[in-house]
Amino acid sequence: MSGGISVVLAAEHLGSVFGFPITNALVMTWLLMVLLIGFAFFFGRRVKMVPGKLQAGVEWAFEGALAYMAETLESEELARKFFPLVATIFLFVALINELEFFPGVGSVGFFHAGRFLPLFRAPTTDLNFTLALALISFFVIEVTGISMLGFFRHMSRYVNLRSPMGFVVGLLETLSNLGRIITFSFRLFGNIFAGEVMVLVAGYFLPFFLPAPLMGFEMFIGLVQAAVFAILTLFFIKLAIADPAEAH
Amino acid sequence: MHQLFSAFGIQLNLLIAQAVNFGLVMLALWYFLYKPVMSTLDERQKKIAKAVQDADEAAQKLAQADDTAAARVRAAETEADGIVASARETASSERARIVSDAEARAEQVAKDAEARAKEEGERMRRESEKEIARLAILAAEKVLSKHHA
Repeated sequence: MSGGISVVLAAEHLGSVFGFPITNALVMTWLLMVLLIGFAFFFGRRVKMVPGKLQAGVEWAFEGALAYMAETLESEELARKFFPLVATIFLFVALINELEFFPGVGSVGFFHAGRFLPLFRAPTTDLNFTLALALISFFVIEVTGISMLGFFRHMSRYVNLRSPMGFVVGLLETLSNLGRIITFSFRLFGNIFAGEVMVLVAGYFLPFFLPAPLMGFEMFIGLVQAAVFAILTLFFIKLAIADPAEAH
Repeated sequence: MHQLFSAFGIQLNLLIAQAVNFGLVMLALWYFLYKPVMSTLDERQKKIAKAVQDADEAAQKLAQADDTAAARVRAAETEADGIVASARETASSERARIVSDAEARAEQVAKDAEARAKEEGERMRRESEKEIARLAILAAEKVLSKHHA
């Protein structure tokens, strides 16, 4: 590792269990899952009628998010239905992005065949994770559209044979909706990965001084990206449940 | 396409694993975090709504009780006024009756006294007339006897 910056697009393989590849991004995903679920478990058991400071904060965030969702979806019921998905996207991605620069992430690892393999890598810098999230989001949006409007009415926004113009619009809609999978996954991946690379590069320019404020900035970007992913999912759900006949 | 996937390290099994991971996190958060917090929020909202309703009802009841009390006091005052007025009326009519009775009786007494005085006077006059007559007879007898003697 003497000299040079090594930037690896793909998450490093640490080994495999029964032929299943274990990457450092996967290891960190599991670690963060344990953290998040552990917090939820201990917090959820202590929820009281008269809240403490932490509970009041969590409730404030929940109520705010729920009110915003209800306003966007124009339905309290739908907001409650989609709250777990949207909130989990935000919480999980935000936690990943905030702990991305935690000491040990990217620096603790081992050498294998002359190459340094970090034990942890932020899952948001692994396209497998962001793509999985994008696909989940995409399928939820489409399934919601079908279940709310009916299969044919929902599909009429993609395949419209009533007029040539409508057909073209349908084609564009299809492309833009499929494109969401790519934009969703690459936006998150690109932002966080680029941030890591930037901090890495800054370390070469002005070590000790430049990386720290940049890390702070990247943590802020991480929060923003988590919010963007969650809010876009919410908006696309809203678009999916809107009647295509009224939308155009 | 294959090159792109391998450059980014995209593998179907990893993709599925991450999707499952996310699903697990969502399920766990839903069960351990969202559900208890939401039900607490709902419960508290219900409690607050009930408390507000109870307070409203209590205030209404209080206002009603005040109204009832005021109405009762008003009724009692009216009744008392009536009683006093009728008492006053009775008293004044009683007084008038007593006065008129007394006057009548006094008049009667005066009339009786006058009648008795008149009667007495008459009686005395008759008696004195009788006395005079008797004296006259006696004098006449004396004169006559002197003459005869």
